[in-house]
Formats: sequence, structure tokens, C-alpha cells
Amino acid sequence: MPVSLPNVSLACFGLSYLLAFALELARVRWPRPSLRVAGLVLGAAGLFAHTLFLIIRQPTPASAYGALLAVAWVLAIFYLYGSLHHAKQAWAVFVLPVILGLVVMAFASFSTDENHDHSLDFGTRVWGAIHGLFVLSAAVGVSVGAVASTMYLIQARRLRMKLLPLGKMKMLSLERLEGMNRRAVNLAFPLLTVGLLLGAVLLRHYHDFADNWLSVKFLGTVGLWVVFLVLTYLRYAVTLPGRRLAMLTIAAFVLMLLVLIAGHPFVKGDSA
Amino acid sequence: MNLRAIGCNFRTAPVDMREKLAFDPAKQEKAVVDLSSRFGCEVVLLSTCNRVELYVARQPGEQPFDAGLAAEFLGEIHSVPAAQVGPLLYEHADEAAVQHLARVASSLDSLVVGEGQIAGQMKQAFEFAHKLGTTGPMLNALLAHSLRVAKRVRTETGISAGHVSVSSVAVDYVRQVFDHFRDKTILVIGAGKMARLTLKHLEALQPGKILVTNRSPEKAAEVAAMCGGQAIPWNQLDDALAKADIALSTTGAGEPIMPRKRFVEKVLPYRGTRTLVVLDIAVPRDFDPAIHDGDRVCLFNIDDLARVRQQTIGERQKAVAPAEAIIAVEVKKFTEDWNRRKSGPAIQQLRTKFDRVRAEVLGPLLDKLNGKLTPADREYIEGAFRLLQNKLLHAPIAALQEASKEGESRKLVEAMQKLFNLNG
Repeated sequence: MPVSLPNVSLACFGLSYLLAFALELARVRWPRPSLRVAGLVLGAAGLFAHTLFLIIRQPTPASAYGALLAVAWVLAIFYLYGSLHHAKQAWAVFVLPVILGLVVMAFASFSTDENHDHSLDFGTRVWGAIHGLFVLSAAVGVSVGAVASTMYLIQARRLRMKLLPLGKMKMLSLERLEGMNRRAVNLAFPLLTVGLLLGAVLLRHYHDFADNWLSVKFLGTVGLWVVFLVLTYLRYAVTLPGRRLAMLTIAAFVLMLLVLIAGHPFVKGDSA
Repeated sequence: MNLRAIGCNFRTAPVDMREKLAFDPAKQEKAVVDLSSRFGCEVVLLSTCNRVELYVARQPGEQPFDAGLAAEFLGEIHSVPAAQVGPLLYEHADEAAVQHLARVASSLDSLVVGEGQIAGQMKQAFEFAHKLGTTGPMLNALLAHSLRVAKRVRTETGISAGHVSVSSVAVDYVRQVFDHFRDKTILVIGAGKMARLTLKHLEALQPGKILVTNRSPEKAAEVAAMCGGQAIPWNQLDDALAKADIALSTTGAGEPIMPRKRFVEKVLPYRGTRTLVVLDIAVPRDFDPAIHDGDRVCLFNIDDLARVRQQTIGERQKAVAPAEAIIAVEVKKFTEDWNRRKSGPAIQQLRTKFDRVRAEVLGPLLDKLNGKLTPADREYIEGAFRLLQNKLLHAPIAALQEASKEGESRKLVEAMQKLFNLNG
């Protein structure tokens, strides 16, 4: 008997996240429990639809479309977890725009599974999946670091301007945000390193390395790795102030987005 | 409803009179028990530094407890002439009393709007009276209602957000920078009264280490002993600042003890990337404000803290109107619910009576027709009688419910009891 799959589209969870974001913004102005509950319900509904979508459509993470949606999915889990555990903090106000941005970018760079290179052998597929897992995990780390950095910059600005310490938008302390950023980057760096090395090996063995090493994807990933190296050096060797580290983390996030939307050598016809 | 809220507060009574009229627990127990037994009423007494209030509920129709009786009673308990007490008292009756309690619990009637203690004090006063057996259905329901309203007001309007004492605002700022304090060092510069007061708030954060320095080593040692800290010589101020995470400065120095140049040259290079929070509550200021950058150094002086205090008070004032709106809705709801509750038993009596009459008429009829009716016919007849009963009762019940909403159901209930012989 054929199993009918629900007709989940990108708009389903995109709109759920958008509404959840609107409710979270409203909660900053009117801190009512009903708004929080409604926001969480919509966020959870969005995550559920997002999960169904990934299960049913199975977009390849090697494409911009699949990669952006996969990163957005992991961030959506972070968003719900953070919102449940930091009820009084404006966590969702910062994470949801990133998720929405990733979903919109995925929508804009729409490509179907048909673009996937089916000529690859099983071994390449397995190693490709491992490579993708590492790179996407690193991307999640950078995204979390970027969210923490944005919050850090806003919190630091509030302190610099000596604004109300407990204004309507409650945020984590500078120390906590700096710690989040540090942990996210420290985790993402080795993941990216392994992912990059695996990618280079795969490219060397199964593709025309000479044709691809100048691709935006490859150069961008190497560039991202260099930014991570610089970040680590500045944090531990030069002891750069938190504000500059936060700005550099956000720059790394922007570079990561470029890398994600760039065409992948394993995906034929994916636009760069 | 026969409810009165009578009392005096910081607006109506000067502090010396509030002191005279205040109750300690022993006196409060005597007063509550005495008043309840003397007037046969439900009583709760709330006594705080800013108010003394009596909440008294009697049966509907009984002579209400009024401000005159309250003045005599309070005067008698405290040995103060009733003529002195009377002019200080205000009196709120019935729905206005419900509203007053909700306003008090929500801290709209407090000296500092939004302060968080009053709801707890009110709860304690009710629990105290409850243990003594002087509360009943009215006051029990009223406490639950007032606390629920207070919670709703706090949650939905943010009226209690922020702090209004300088020391608490300082701690709020510290919490914006640091997350945990067990690994933090607090440096106290100066040993005056303000230092001790603010230090008490900072101690609640449970810091890892407290260092105290002062020009007078004896005073530094005294403060250090008080807070379990370590006194350090005044000439080691730069080193101590380099180690500290939070500096609380309250000296009486005539000019800044830490100009920017000295801080940049002798402190900052030895701190790494650690953030330093400076709470400079000295006048004149101890630290040059130019050292503040909101990243490595967050400096808040007395003007900053006072400004935040004013902003907080301003924000709380903005929440007053929405809070009053919530209270108005909730008070109306409580009054209607209470009145409906009072007419509920009468409606139930009416229904029971009609059920009985219907059964008395229908029973013999069905017995007589026994064997001639199909089950469908029998069901139809029973339904018709039920419909007739409902149609007959609809108007009186609706009238009773309407009168209950207005709080004027007593006479109507009595009339119905007579008309339908409900007590028979």
C-alpha cells in the first residue's frame, strides 16, 4: 500500500519561523506569557515541518539549497532549546533572523536533487557525506558564534552607552556571550579543518583538482579556515578585546554563507 | 458583599503616627482575634512600615464595619485617642475594597511603585489570620484574587522591572557583564557607610575574593573582617585593580584617585582582556570617566546609577495605566463571580424543586399510560415536560443571574424563596 507523504513546502516552516519571530519581537514590547507560548508553539511547528521537509525531500547538503536548509534546521533546534531554557532572554530575537535568512537564501538558490552527481561511487559518497557532516557542523558552530557575537556587540554597546541595565530586551551577560562565542569557534575550527582536508582529498582523487581548486567554494573554504586561524591566534596569543573578536566572528559567518551558496564540484549545474 | 478595607498609609499618616499604629506579631494576634470575636466578622490585618490596614468582611445585611469603629478599635489597642486616629483613616467599601486590595498587592499603592515586597507581606498577613481562624470564604477568595492580579500585573506590564536603589542598580550592571562570580575578585576602595551598604549587595553574588583598601589601614581591616575579605595596603591599589574584576570605590578623596593616565599606564596593561567593572559611587568621583569603554572597562558612577534609578521609576510609571486597566477588569470579574456564587444555591434550590415537582406529576401519568406507550412516545413526553420546566425557569433564573452581576440579588432571592416555597 503506498504511503502518502505530507505536502510540506519550504513556505510552511518559513512562515512558521517568521510568525514566531514576529511574536518574539512583540514580546520584547509586551512581555506576556501568552506571546511566549504562541511563539514557542509556532517555532516548534516550524521545526516539525522543517524536519518533515528534510526527511521527505532529502536535499543534498552538497548543494547550496540543502546545506543552507540543514544549517537552518540545526539552528532551529538551538533556537527552541535556548528559548525554553532562557525564557527571559531575547534569545529567539537573534537566532530566528539567522534561520529565516538561511531559509530565504535556500529559497533563492533553489536547486533540486536532480543536480546531484549520481555517477559517484559508494566510497566517494560515504567520504563525501563525512566531509559534508564536518563542514556543516562547522557552519553551525560559526552561526552560533555569530549570533553570540551579535548579542555581545549589542550588549557591549548598551554598556558603553550606559543604558538601562534591565531594558525590555534582556540579554545574557558579556562573559556568557563571550564564552558561547569562544566555545562555538573552538569547536568549529577543528571540524572545518577535518572537513576541508577531506574535501581536498576527495577533490584530488575523484575530480579534476586543477579545474576546481580555483573555485569559489574551495577558495572560500580555505579563506574561512584562515579566518578561523587568525581568530584563534588573536584570541589566545594577542588577547584581542571581545568586541573585535565578535566582529571578526561575524565576518567569518558572512564568508561561510558565501562558501555555502557557492557551487560544489560534486553537484552538477549548481550555481555559484 | 459586605467588605471594608480601612487603614492609613504613608500618604495619610505621618511616620510618627504610623509607628504608633504599627503592630508586632503578638499585638497583631490579639487585635485580629479580638476584632473577629467582637464583631463576628472575617478579619485580616496588614501592618508594614508604610501602612496599617484592616480588611473586614461581614454577612450581607449586617451593619458594616466602618472607619469610626476602626478608629476606636485601633485607638484602644494602641492607647491612642480615637479622635487622633480617625482623620488618618481611609475607607473602601465592597467593590472599591476589592480594587484597593488588588492595587496594594500589585504595589500600585506603594511608596515606590513596583516594589516587590508588598505582595509577600499581604500573603503573610492573610496566612497569619488564616491560622487564627479569622478568615472565611470572602477574605480567602479575596487574597487568592489579589495575589493572582498582582502576578498578572507584574508579568504583563513589567511594573517591577529593574531596581530603584543605587546599590541594586549597581549589582544589575555587574550582572550584565559577568555571569558567575565564584572566580571573581571584588576590590573595595574606601570604607565608608556607602561602601558597606553596596558591598552587602555585592556579597550576595558570592564572589571568590574580596579585597579592601583604604587610606586608613584600620578601617580597611574592619570592613575586611566584616565581609570575610582581605585588607591590602593603600599603596598597592594599582596591583589590586589589575587583579580585580569589580571595583567598588567610595572614598572621600577631594580629587580623582585614578586619573586616566595612571589607569592606562599602571593598571590596564596588566589585566589582559578581562573586563573590569568600576562602580564609582564617591562624590567627588574617584575614577576618571574617560577610562570607560564598555568592553574592557565598564565604569558607572553615582550619576549613572541615579539616572538609571530615575529611568526605572519612569518606566514603572508608564506601566501604571495598563496595570490599572488589568485591575479594573479583574475586579469586575471577581465581583460578578462572587455575586453569582451567592445566588448559585438559590438557583440550585429552584431547579431541584422543579425537578421534584416534574417527577411528582410525570410519574403517575406514565404509570397510568403504562403499556400504551412505545419507548419513543415515553421519551417524547418526558422531553416535553423537561422543556416546559426549562421554559418556565428561564426567566426567573436569568433575572437572578442579572441581579447577581449587579450585586442586588439578595431581595430577589428572598422573593423567589417565598414565591416558590424553596425553604419548605
